[in-house]
Amino acid sequence: MTAATEPLIRVAGLHYAYEAGTRPPISALRGIDLTINAGEHVALVGANGSGKSTLLRHLNALLLPSQGNVWVAGWNTHEQQHWRDIRCTVGMVFQSPEAQIVATTVEEDVAFGPENLGVSRSELQARVDWALRATGLMELRAKASHSLSAGQKQRLAIAGALAIRPRCLALDEVTAMLDPAGCAQVSAVITQLHRAGITIISATHDMGEAAAAQRVIVLDKGRIALQGSPREVFADDASLLAFQLDLPAATHMARTLARRLPQFPRDVFTVSELVDAIVVHAGVTS
Amino acid sequence: MNTASTPIVEVRGLWHTYLAGTPLETPSLRGVDLCALRGETVGIIGPTGSGKSTLLQHLNGLWRPQRGEVHVCGLSVNDPAIDLRVIRQQVGLVFQNPEDQLFERYAGDDVAFGPRNLKLGREEVRERVREAMEQCGLPFSFKDRLTLELSQGERRRLALAGVLAQRPQVLALDEPTAGLDPQGRLELLRILRQWGKDGDRAIILASHNMEDLAELATRVYVLVAGQVVLEGPPEQVFERTDVLVPAGLSVPPAVEVIQELRRRGFTVPHAVLTPAQAIRQIEAILHA
Amino acid sequence: MPEPSEFELSGRVTIGQYLPTGSVLHRLDPRVKLCMGLLLIVGTIGTRSLLGLAILMAAVLFGLRLARVSLRFALSGLSPALPFLFLLALLQVFAIPQHVAGSAVVWRWRFLVATTGGLFAAALLVGRFCVLVLGISLLSFSTNTTELTHGVEHLLIPLQRFGLPAHEFALVVNIAIRFLPILAREAERLMKAQASRGADLGRSGGGPVTRARRLLPLMIPLFLVSLQRADGLVEAMEARCYVGGKGRTHLIQLRARPVDMATLAACLGLSLLAIGLGTLGADAWLLHRLASHT
Repeated sequence: MTAATEPLIRVAGLHYAYEAGTRPPISALRGIDLTINAGEHVALVGANGSGKSTLLRHLNALLLPSQGNVWVAGWNTHEQQHWRDIRCTVGMVFQSPEAQIVATTVEEDVAFGPENLGVSRSELQARVDWALRATGLMELRAKASHSLSAGQKQRLAIAGALAIRPRCLALDEVTAMLDPAGCAQVSAVITQLHRAGITIISATHDMGEAAAAQRVIVLDKGRIALQGSPREVFADDASLLAFQLDLPAATHMARTLARRLPQFPRDVFTVSELVDAIVVHAGVTS
Repeated sequence: MNTASTPIVEVRGLWHTYLAGTPLETPSLRGVDLCALRGETVGIIGPTGSGKSTLLQHLNGLWRPQRGEVHVCGLSVNDPAIDLRVIRQQVGLVFQNPEDQLFERYAGDDVAFGPRNLKLGREEVRERVREAMEQCGLPFSFKDRLTLELSQGERRRLALAGVLAQRPQVLALDEPTAGLDPQGRLELLRILRQWGKDGDRAIILASHNMEDLAELATRVYVLVAGQVVLEGPPEQVFERTDVLVPAGLSVPPAVEVIQELRRRGFTVPHAVLTPAQAIRQIEAILHA
Repeated sequence: MPEPSEFELSGRVTIGQYLPTGSVLHRLDPRVKLCMGLLLIVGTIGTRSLLGLAILMAAVLFGLRLARVSLRFALSGLSPALPFLFLLALLQVFAIPQHVAGSAVVWRWRFLVATTGGLFAAALLVGRFCVLVLGISLLSFSTNTTELTHGVEHLLIPLQRFGLPAHEFALVVNIAIRFLPILAREAERLMKAQASRGADLGRSGGGPVTRARRLLPLMIPLFLVSLQRADGLVEAMEARCYVGGKGRTHLIQLRARPVDMATLAACLGLSLLAIGLGTLGADAWLLHRLASHT
């Protein structure tokens, strides 16, 4: 295998269990095998407690496997001396906008990461500017971080992760606590970053978001239950229900229509695709 | 007076300024009018910062009106002589992420907190806890489980049970489905719908999740920067994308589909709320 | 004037608030402002002269003017402490025995004796308190927390060679200050949630155990939320390669200008003057004049 085709992230036989008070240890991950290639956009879906967040935290060595291995750009997460390299390859953004902001101004919070790496002052400024531009926060650079809206705070968190110049961003339900406007802002930034070549691994509850990814991985009780393109994963309604998931709203409607109308497409994932399908179908039958 | 038509919740000309009198004061409500009749589920839509939470917190007396009037269940929140605890029992307020407020070691004790504060007898408290937990889809046997060991969905329902155990007439909820997974959300909506079936009760739901409101609300208010900019049945309000979109709000996907079809020249005579209604309209178009 | 809600915690405490008025005082180097604060504290506590205190108070009031802070707002920060202060002052008035040199009896009722010495001590106490509160408030009004922690960190850097973890210390202070309003908001939310369930957290009465138990519905969830936040922050910091202060660079550099040094020198002068007046016994002269009039 040449360097170009080497997967960015490789997970083999990953098991993870943790102590849980009076109950027996909880097995959060039960044998995960996975590869993620550079440039992919992967969505991780599953019910609460299925192991999405736990799996993500193994990808940047925040958690270590109880059993099995995780390799990031060739480095094994078990090896502490490589944690810095690993965390410079996979940046992570978390769900709660407030709880990941360290500094009091926007600029300084973005600089936190590269400051930790001992980057020189001129390079620091360059990286901060680049990250602020990529997330549309240039005008807000001197503002107090706590005065931003939730959507802006999440963009700030992304900028902070970007300033380390990672090849990959791991996103843990980053839009879950945002209102529609905030969601739209953050989704737009993520799409742009993916287009610029950054690998995106995004844990999400939003089925619409998942349908926009290249690959969807469904987790159920700590195992990978289903994996494939959105079309493949959303093909079987019944199994999704079993995993406590839902279809994107547009897909739901398309499937119901397809049951009563012959030849109506089943693999529709967005509102505009649905409308296009209706228009086409109306043209065909008239 | 015909009690059927007297609103159970009535807000008139409500103004509120946060930190009034200090250099940091900001207006959060500017002349809000709102009412809810028994049997209704009223939705308050608005982006973050629109004043939804402040408005809700006036309904159970956490805030006294600085200007304007608030009446709930025939009581006036403005009245300085009124015992706020009576109001807080009649109007149950469920905060965002209510599972954060759990503090008792055992789940049952936390649900019992409300009834115990009402100074009810042991048997009465037990009965209320059982009833409330069942309404929230939690088996009574959960009462002996450790609160911290329940899942997030279970803890949210436990917190809701804690409010229902006071047997309020009005239930006011702030972003009730935020952070829940799809199944958790459906379950919560089912619980609310069931509770609201009793014609003497009313639900006030503040949310920016349009699909929740499409499912439950009979009437909605759109709140932007502390002012009511739209009011009416949800299907009418959702038509007004000219107001909703600039305010940072969206419409449910089912409504979006129909609106887009109209834009492309199709005639869709009826307004739509839910996916089921949208499908009926679409089938009508495709069979025409 | 509407009654502030019992739940509105953040609005009524003036100390620690930042008022961005963009004045000259705001633009001073934060290290200089911190040193000025220290000098003020030293001067206030070190002076035994009411005249000295008056000079320091005048300086603070002048500073408030310069910083474009409303005097009324600044003084309102003193109001919560007034009853407590009054009590302390009373104690001071009656506590100084009458045989202290230069002290004459001013008023007597049964066993209560008020002497000029006592009155003086009380005035000194009240004066010190007011100058300190107003002075520290002025510091916080004109310096935001970022500047404060940068100032603290840069002041402590020389001590790093003795093993003092300047960066870690500054980071701890920074995060603590930043999370204060967040935790205050959480506490407010929790109090409201529990009040909505009929809890009466403000009620007094009952022994210490009962009162403590009454606060559990607030304390336990607040504690849990704080731990959650702390966990989240630790994860975020680790994910961004934080390993402590060693080897870190800084985006923001501080540079002191001539006006900073001049202001610092002026402050030093005033503090020394205040202490000097006390040592030279300027007030003894005042006291003597007062005693000879009664």
